[in-house]
Order: sequence, then structure tokens, then C-alpha cells
Amino acid sequence: MTHMNTDKIINNILASRGRLPHIKTPVNKCDEEGGCGVTGFMASIPIAGKHIYEPSVQMHNRGNGKGGGIAAVGLSAGDLGVPQDVLEDHYLLQVAYLDNIAIPQVESTSITPLFDIYKSERIPTIDDYTTIGLEVKPPDVWRYFVRVKPSVLENFIQANHFHDMDRRKAEDEFVFQNSNRLNQTYYASLGEKQAFVLSHARNVMILKVVGYAEQATQYYCLDDFRAHGWIAHQRYPTRGRLWHPGGAHPFSGMHEALVHNGDFANYHAVCEYLNQHHIYPQFLTDTETSVLLLDLYNRVFNYPLEYIIEALAPTTEYDFDCLPREKQDVYRYIQSQHMTGSPDGPWFFIIARNDPYKNLMQLIGITDTAMLRPQVFALQERDEVQIGLVCSEKQAIDATLQSIAAEDSRFCPIADKYWNARGGSATDGGAFTFTIKDSGKGNGSKHLITQNKFGDIVQTRKDQRHFDRSVDMSPSFEESPQAGRITKLFSDNAREEMKQYCISELVDLDFQDITRLCSTIEVLATKSDANQTMAIDLLTHLNDRIFPTANKKRSSVLQIIRESLTTIFKSSPQIGDRKNRLYAYIDRSTRQALRAPLENEKILVVNAKEFEPEGKDCDSRLINKAYRLGWKQYICYGYKGQRFTGCGFGAGSDDVRFDVYDSSGDYMASGIDGMEIHVHGNAQDQLGQIMKRGKFVVHGDVGQTFMYGAKGGEVYIMGNAAGRPLINATGRPRVVINGTCLDYLAESFMAGDPLNGGGFVIVNGIAFDDNGKVIDLSMPYPGSNLFSLASGGAIYLRDPDCKVVDEHLNGGIFAKLSDADWALIHPYLEENETLFGISVEADLLTVNGRQLPFDRVYRKVMPAQSQALGTSKK
Amino acid sequence: MSPKKNPLPETRETPSRFRNTIGKYIIKRNSNCISCGKCADLCSYGVHIKPEGHASPFRPIEHKCIGFDCKKTDHYCIEHCPEDALTLKENPLLDTMGDYRWPPEMLLGHFALAETGAAPHVNLEYNLGNSGGGFDMMRFVQPDPGLALDISDEDMDTSIDLNKTGDGRPRKTISIPCYGGGMSYGSTALSVIVGRARAAKRMNSLTCTGEGGYPPEFLPYKAHVITQVATGLFGVREETIQQCPVMEFKYAQGAKPGLGGHLLGEKVTEAVAKMRETVVGSSLFSPFPFHSVYSVEDHKKHVDWMKEINHNVLCSIKVSTPTDVDMVAVGAYYAGAHIIHIDGSYGGTGAAPDIAKKNIAMPIEYAIPKVHRFLVEEGARDKICLIASGGIRNGLDIAKAIALGADGCVIGTADLVAVECVRCGNCESGRGCARGIATTDPELGCMIDEAYVEQRLVNMYMAWRKQWCDILRSYGLKSIRELRGRSDLLVHLDYLDQEERNRYQPAPSSKMVL
Repeated sequence: MTHMNTDKIINNILASRGRLPHIKTPVNKCDEEGGCGVTGFMASIPIAGKHIYEPSVQMHNRGNGKGGGIAAVGLSAGDLGVPQDVLEDHYLLQVAYLDNIAIPQVESTSITPLFDIYKSERIPTIDDYTTIGLEVKPPDVWRYFVRVKPSVLENFIQANHFHDMDRRKAEDEFVFQNSNRLNQTYYASLGEKQAFVLSHARNVMILKVVGYAEQATQYYCLDDFRAHGWIAHQRYPTRGRLWHPGGAHPFSGMHEALVHNGDFANYHAVCEYLNQHHIYPQFLTDTETSVLLLDLYNRVFNYPLEYIIEALAPTTEYDFDCLPREKQDVYRYIQSQHMTGSPDGPWFFIIARNDPYKNLMQLIGITDTAMLRPQVFALQERDEVQIGLVCSEKQAIDATLQSIAAEDSRFCPIADKYWNARGGSATDGGAFTFTIKDSGKGNGSKHLITQNKFGDIVQTRKDQRHFDRSVDMSPSFEESPQAGRITKLFSDNAREEMKQYCISELVDLDFQDITRLCSTIEVLATKSDANQTMAIDLLTHLNDRIFPTANKKRSSVLQIIRESLTTIFKSSPQIGDRKNRLYAYIDRSTRQALRAPLENEKILVVNAKEFEPEGKDCDSRLINKAYRLGWKQYICYGYKGQRFTGCGFGAGSDDVRFDVYDSSGDYMASGIDGMEIHVHGNAQDQLGQIMKRGKFVVHGDVGQTFMYGAKGGEVYIMGNAAGRPLINATGRPRVVINGTCLDYLAESFMAGDPLNGGGFVIVNGIAFDDNGKVIDLSMPYPGSNLFSLASGGAIYLRDPDCKVVDEHLNGGIFAKLSDADWALIHPYLEENETLFGISVEADLLTVNGRQLPFDRVYRKVMPAQSQALGTSKK
Repeated sequence: MSPKKNPLPETRETPSRFRNTIGKYIIKRNSNCISCGKCADLCSYGVHIKPEGHASPFRPIEHKCIGFDCKKTDHYCIEHCPEDALTLKENPLLDTMGDYRWPPEMLLGHFALAETGAAPHVNLEYNLGNSGGGFDMMRFVQPDPGLALDISDEDMDTSIDLNKTGDGRPRKTISIPCYGGGMSYGSTALSVIVGRARAAKRMNSLTCTGEGGYPPEFLPYKAHVITQVATGLFGVREETIQQCPVMEFKYAQGAKPGLGGHLLGEKVTEAVAKMRETVVGSSLFSPFPFHSVYSVEDHKKHVDWMKEINHNVLCSIKVSTPTDVDMVAVGAYYAGAHIIHIDGSYGGTGAAPDIAKKNIAMPIEYAIPKVHRFLVEEGARDKICLIASGGIRNGLDIAKAIALGADGCVIGTADLVAVECVRCGNCESGRGCARGIATTDPELGCMIDEAYVEQRLVNMYMAWRKQWCDILRSYGLKSIRELRGRSDLLVHLDYLDQEERNRYQPAPSSKMVL
């Protein structure tokens, strides 16, 4: 198609839309809403709707039960009672009737005269909405499988000069405009709203309620309904009295569903931009404008996904400089055209879409350039099935996988890979796409491909397999040689030796043998308190360290190890039994039995699973009570996002220690003053806020705004920190981050002079490969805002190739690393070695096989202003 | 049920710290004086004093002089002086003092309230400013005389509840419908903020730390000190939240929405830097907004966090007044706040940048009814305490704010005026405060002591209380709680016809030299 022709089509579409009736867009949104909780997954096989239930429930505290919605893409024709070709070719028009009186009128004006209807039905619902806790009756939704009548389409094409347009795309546009008209007549223009279109895509459906997202699946009987992709949204509208779910997410443009976590600062400007293209919002929320923008770029301008993402979340600062020249030219043009329509402020989109023209389905997650909302991506791949997930919290990913894996042994409850996107970056573009398309095997099966904004593929190792109990376990149980050896090591109390032994054995053992080895350890653990301690210590070590697993997926090995740990924790004596052993177990059902520790009791094992995430019935409140009763050591496991672990102890908690397992929650270690917390896995957002003193160790990654306003503490992170770590930190925090950060590390850092008692952050810029070998990241710090506007403290950056340049800084300067600096940081690196096995000499100081002097490997970034003020030693 | 008798703190004459007080008039005694002492015998206001045994009278205490109004009396000293030794004129200093919102008479009036605990006997307009809008154009309607009650101040209820949620946390009641706004360690002299805490204890009210840490000097008064958690998180530790009855999240200030707190380098002395654990001499800018809160669900998590640290603390949410402040308030309520504190655009002392002051947020008299009505519509009004601030200057402003729909107010500037701030606006510079108030300089800070601050504030608040009792009684109300939302008791002069307007006290409108 020529450019002229493209322009003509664009102009014709926009002109055509200009003739649609519309309301004047008000300056304000219909109601303010907050960030909300978003979750989604896309799998190579259809998955039942009930699996969106658990992650949605776990994100209740990101919504307020005043708006929830779900969308499914890649539906099951069988479950809908239509042939596959009808599902793929027909529009699935879903109309929500807020007032059933409107049904005949809506049908006679907007549906029957215009469409050939293959099938229409009221979506089945449960009888009584109150039984699932809903307070507002959800609308009756009618579902119509339709095609535009040929004569109607012909007239539409004639009237709007769409002759040059693909006829099918013209039909899409008709459907779009028809829904627009319907909404205008029966929703937007009315005080008493009557009906609106939920979705009209091919092979996509959206449902929403005034309630929580999972109540939509319950109410509309979707628990067993299967689809390749699902997304869910917990809304948090600030006003409380809502009687219909019109403002709830997801929203749809044409063939997609979009959910949004955030809040536009420039809602009005985005609306103005849309208005200039004859697009007039009808539901008056950020989310609707987002999807209208997306649809404009996608269907009208015909942009490829990469350009759409650039138009929404522009590449800026040093990242822009890092783009190839040709990309810069294109992006500069996109930015000049679309900056005014680009949403400003915090946002994170999850989009599920069907592309019938390319015969694929996609789940897309896009973050704003400044990464102001939390986001986690995850991937699990094996030959038979693949699944990609994206959520606002990691715990929701874990919950989804646990739910699916419990029914289908081809899935593992732990993902193979978890990561964050870096917004508007030159590295991943701040967006990832999970695409489902035909696997090419000729049997109709589908395959999942994961790509970043630029199309680079993200994948897991292909030569490894998952544990599948149905295949890998033989019924007979034999005494293995490993079991004998480990029993001997236990009786010899040879702690270090058993760790090394297990790591070396785990390379070659198969899943069944590992399960047996763990069973042996579980049995040994029951023999004595000392054995239990040893077993926990050993399994924790295996959980924390990355080691070679040959042809076995690490996620599956971890699954076995974690199940064993859970068994051992659970077998501790119940708090009510007063056994006076080293460990005492408590959970929600036995929480009333909490009492002061007996003489031999030292460790309280808290199964957090059934506790509320916050408030009067949360585990943090129980643990606080336990502390006042004299408990000092805690093993906390079974977490599914419960918050505030370690909070509320006040000053002087020096002899307290926490060991935290599973999906721990936000705000852990915030405000701690003396205690020690070890997290055995990845951790979530807002950890270590205002932390004062103590030790905090994370055997994994940490989320957003880590250690905001911290005053001190000794902190070791094995992996990465997400956006905005250590902002506004003062005093003397001493932090080692072995990976890197998304951006804005230590902005406004004010922690004095590190050589004189102040604070610092060491960034090592390393990662572990699959075999547990330390490797350098391609860039030790990729963001453009390192140590911005800092007035105190320092960053010690491991950057032997000097890849970080002045453009990464904003108010900081590079300084030479002195002997005094090295003497300061060396002990922390040694402790880091003890904790994570990252050798100072063999890993950190060794570059390309050669050991270098410390000042050739580490660089110091200090505040420019402190030099001017002369507060730092020259 | 008759309201129980309210124990009230004692007011006590607390004179100016300065030898030369600022009066509305200048009265001088020249060398013709023969020290006959007649003026001292005549003057009932205490301008002329000649103690027993003194050879000559003291120099006149000018700020007590009622000026030319005295002419009509039989004790006008100027005319009765046998030697014509006394001269009287208007004080030209008043032309250069204050501003349209805080005209000189309002400043002098508050000096007098704080000195005596009663309405000044000098004719000073201390209830109305000269701004031409806002509270200055609002009047209470003339009450129906039949409604007036005859009960004593002691039997009137001026208390408000801070926790109305019924969530099991303490029902905190303060005895006056206002408490002290955040002033950080570093912004003002230590004796000023500790004096405010002492006054809060006496009044059974509260004061607030601001965001500069929690100096140990607050500890004896901790039941009356709010710990502020602001975007810089300076000096916030678990124990500072554990020891406070109320914690306040400061999301924004009406004087400078979109900006965090400022403390310029000169004020960051060694002591201030130590309290905040920062670098001496380096300006401190708090970020905007909280980096951990970009949405209402983050905010709920933030509130939940505070509630886990202190299982009894009440949470106050301080926000500025954007156009959607009503939505913000409702969101704060659903997130579990006990107090929603809206800070309008007139507030802020000298340290807020001029470009921001009064130019961004919504005026508080618009924001209060907007939020009040929205909360009523939502059915949430009786579950949350609505506090207004941002240019609430005096007792009458507080009464007006309550009639517009607030439960109570937060006071900042008036506290400083009570201790003789003249609003010169040099607060940002550590050594610029000629009155020794907004300073961290040890020498300047010596000019003021805690006991003085405490008593001056008690005096001012007790004088305000008298005003509230008068208003309530005149409408037949026994409790300040009954005044809430009674906007029918207010008129705005701009919206009255000429005849009706003439029945009310006109707005001050003199041109000022600024």
C-alpha cells in the first residue's frame, strides 16, 4: 500500500468517526481511582477460569471490592457451544443490560437490523448474587455471535469511502462504531444508564461486576470455562456508592482487553488528543482512554506493536542515546507526533489481545517510563506447555501457578524465570509480550513465544525438563545410597559437608531420587531438635544457592526442596502441646494458644498461609504479640503476600531473627531497629522503609522503593532491586546489591561521609548463570539516574570496563577508589561472600579470568556538592 | 443530658518579650514632665505606671493605649497633663507591618490575646483581614435574639472527637476544635515547638512534629504530640510512631502543592543534621510525592503499615486542595484514615516559595464545603473527622470553617504570631528571624523560652474559646459540634444586596504599603 493510500484510509476513518454523536468530554474523570491490582497469564493450552480466582483473591487489598473485571482471550469454542470457525470469524458482542427493559429496544436499534446473528444467549449466571458476597446485582449480559449483514457493510463502505480498505477491517470498524453509538445512546448520554457494550472482539470476552474480579468468574459461571489467556483487575474507585460496573476494567478497543494500574496526571490532555482524532471517551476513566489510544495507533495508524509502545512510553535520556541510529530517527518522529497523547504519571498496562489477521494471541505488559507502578513478569516453559504471567505482585504469579499446578502436573508451582521491565529503556523497552501461535506441528497445538519491545526473545533453557509426578515417580520406594550417606552425615553433625554433598549429588540425581533424598531428610528431621535444625539449615541452603542441575529445571528442584521444608516446618510441635522442644508451631487456627516460650523453646514457626495480609488478624500482629511474650526467633513460611513482617518491634530488637520463606509481602523489615531478617527467595515492594539498624538479607530480588528513607542497617541483596531503591536514605545504611537496579538508585541520598560513619551502596552488577557461576551483567547500572541530587554517602560500583558514564549521573561525580574506601567496603563484601557464596577474589575482582586490583574494578560515585562543600576527605 | 463542666486552663498575663512593644499608637512623654503621676492615676489601661516610691513614671506602655478613642472619656491623659508633656499619634510602623491577610491590627490583636487571654481593650480589628475575599468576606448572620442561651463558658462544649470510625482504636477527644500544625525541628527554635507541646497539654489538644524528627524534649508531652510522616521521612523511626496518639501522613501542603518540604542549608545546623541524620549545611528538600505511594491502594498499605507499628494510633491524612479534593478525601476514608486534613492555599510561612504560595491549591473556604458535602453524600461524614487548615488565622476563622463543614482546624501561623512573630517572611534564612522564632541559631533562639510560649498560646486559645462560646450561645447551641456544617449561619458579603450588606460589618479595605 502506498503512503498516499494509507493516509487516505486514516483520514477516511477519522472523518467517519467525526460523524458519530458524542458528548463533550468533561475535564474530570467520572471517579478517581487508585493503582489497583492487575494480573494476567497466557498459556499454550486453554486454562480454566477458576485459576484467575486465587491470584485475584490475593490482590483484594489492591482493590476495594467496588469494581472487578476479567477478560479471556483465545476462548474454548466447545465451552461456548459454537463451532471453532464461528468463534474465530464472528464478533462476540457482549452487551451489559443495566435495565432489562432496554433489551428489546437495544436489539431492535443496534443489533438485529445490522447483524446476522449466529447465536444469542443470556450468559448463564448463578441464581443469587448475594451468595458469593456481591452487594450489587451484576448486569444481565447478552452474548451475540454476529457478522455484519453484507448489505449493511456495503452501505457503510460506500458512505465512508472505505473502498481501499480491507473489507474485513472495514467490518471491524463498523462493529467499533456501532458499539460506540450504542454506548452513546444507552449509556453516555443518559443520567440513568441502561446498557453498554462490554466487548465486541473476535475471540475475546470481558465481564465486570461491582465487586472483586473473581466474583465475575463466579457469578457468570466461568470456573470451568477455558481460555488461553486471562486477565483480571481489582479496582479501587475512591467513591464508595457504585451501582453498575461501567467504570470497571478491562476496557476494549477492538480485539483486545486492557487493564490498568495507575492514574494519569494528564487525563484531560490525553482526551484532548483523542478528541482531535474524533474519538470521544464515554466511560470517563483513564483505562478507557488508554485502550482508545492503543486502538488508534493499532487499527487506524497501523503501527507495529513496538511503535505503539514507544508512543505510550517514550524512550528518554541516556537510554535514547543508546538506541541504534535508525531507531532514534523513528522514535524521535513518534515522540514528536505523540508526546501530547502519551499518558503521564504512574501506569502499568496489561493487555490481552487477539490478532485475527496474524492468527495469534498476545498478553502484553507495558510500564510507564518512570516505572512508578510495581510489575513482575514470569515464564515457565516445557515441551508440552508454556505459560507467561504478568502481575502487579509476584505473589499473584505464584498463586496462579500453584492453582494451575495443583490440577495439572505439567505445570510447576514455581516459574522458571521472574523479571521486571525497565520502562522506556533501550534494553527491553519496558514491555514484554507473550504470544501464542500455531506450533507448526500440524496438530493444531499452540506455542508460546516471549519477546521484549524490540522483539528479542526471552526464553528458558531448552535442555532441561520439569518434574512431573505422574511420569517421574515410580510407586516402589527403595533405599538409595544417597539416603544412607546423608543419614551418616547427620549423625556426624557434618553441616558443611552435607551441603556440599547434596549440591554435588543434585547434578546427576533424577527427580525421583531427589524426592527420596528429601524424604530421608524429612524423616531425619523428626528425630531430634538438633536434626531438625540441621535439616532446615541444609534445605534452606539448597533453596538459596544456585547450583548446576543438569537436565532438570531448577524451578522443579526448588519445588521439591520447598515442599520438604514445608513438611519439616509443619511437623514442629504444636504451640498448644507445650512440648518444650526447640520449635513450636502456630497457625491461624491455633493462634489463640499463643503463650510465652517454655525454657527450651526458642523458635516460633509461623505458618502465615491463612492469616489476613494486614489488620487485626494478620500474622504480623500475632508475631508482635509473641515478641512481647518473649519469643525472639521466628521461622515464617506459607506466605502469600502477607505484609509488614518484622514491623512494630520498636527500638532495640537486637536478638531477634526472622527466617522468611515463600511469597513474602510488602513493607517487610520496615522500621526495624536491631533485628536480623533473612528472606529465602524473592521479596516484594517497599521493603526496609525507614530501616534504622539491623541486618537484612534477601536471597533473591527486591521490589520497588526498597529502603526509602532508611537511616541505617546492613543489607545484602543477592539479586536485583527494582525502581527507586534507597531514595532519601540518611544516616548510615550499608547495602550490597549484587545485581543492579531498574533506575533512580539512591536519589537524594544524604547519608553523610561514608569514610566517616556515613552510608553507601555497593552495586556489583553481576548475575548467576544456570550453573550458579557468577557472570557480569552487560551493564552494571543501566538507568540514567544514578545517585541523582545526592548530598551525602557514596555508591561503590563494580564497573571494571567503565561502562557507566557521566550521562548516568545527575549531580554525582566519579572519584577514585582509595585504600580507605576499599578498607571500608571489603568487610561487607566478605560477609556477602559468606552469605551468597560470591567470592571477593575469584568472582568480584576477577575480570575476564584475570584478578585485578580493587581500584581497577570498583569505582566510587560521590556527591558533586560534597566535594564543593569540602565535607569529604580528599 | 447536660454537658459536663469543662476544666479550663488558667490564663495568666504574659507580657511581651521586648522592651519596646508595638502599639497602634505612639504615646511619648517629653522632658516637660514633672513626674506628678497624674497620668498614672488617670489611666485605667496600664499605659502609665508610677509605682509607689518611684520618683518618676515608667515610660508609657504604648500597646495598651486606646488612642484617640480616649478623648471622649474623662481620663484622656493628653488633655489632663498639667505640663502638656504627653503626645499621641498613630504608629506609622503599622503601615509597613503585615499583609492583606494578616493586617497589622490582626497581628497586634493577637499579641494582646496572647498577653492577656481576653479580647483587647484597644480597638483592633483582629477577626477580619483585608484580603477582599474568603473568610474576610464571610459573616455570621445576625442571630435571632430569642435563641440565645444563658450558660457559662465552663458549661459549653468546644471539644471534638478525632476517631469516629468505631474501629476499636481509642476515641480521642480534644477540648478545643483546633490543634497545632507541623513545625519541624529545624524550622523554628526548639523552645517554640516544645512550648507548643506544653500548651497542647494544658489545652488538652495536640501539636505536631513536622518532618524534622522527634526531639527528646517532646517526650514529657508525648500524649499531645502528633508524629508527622512526610515525604522525606526525616527522623521517622518506629518508636516515634509508637509513642504518638495520632500520626499524620503529610502528602502535600496547601502552600506548595507539588513540592515537598524545604529546609535551606543555612538552617541545617549540626543539631538539625544530627536529628535528621543528614549532612550539615546541605539544603534538604523532601520529595513530592511519597515514592512508595502513587495510588490509593498504595496509600491504604501505607496507613496499614502505621497501624501495625502502633496498634492504637490514629491516622491523619494531610492533603492539599486540588479540584478533586473531595475524591481524595473519600479515598482516604475508605483506606482507613481517622482524620482527613485538607490544607488550603493561604497557608505557609515564609519558607514556601512565593511562586507556589496562594497560587496553586483551592482556597480552603471552597474546599471545606465541597469535601463536607461529598462525604455526606457518601454516607461517610459521621465516620471521619474533617480538619481544615491553610490560612485559618483566628478564632472567628475557625468558627466559620466549622460552620462550612469542618470538624476543626489546624493552626500554624497564629501560634507564631502569639509569640510575637511579625510575619516579615524571612523564615527560610536561619538567622533572618529578628524575633528569635523561626531560627536554629543558638543565640537568636535564646530570645524565647518554653514557659512564655506555653502561656501565650494558652491565653490566645482561651480568648478564642470565649469567642466561640459567644457565637454558640447566640444561636442557642451548646456544643461546637452542633455548629458543624451550619453554612446557613454564614453570609458572604459579595452575594448580598446593598441594603442587606449594610447590616454587616464592612470588610476592611484600606490600601496597604507592602
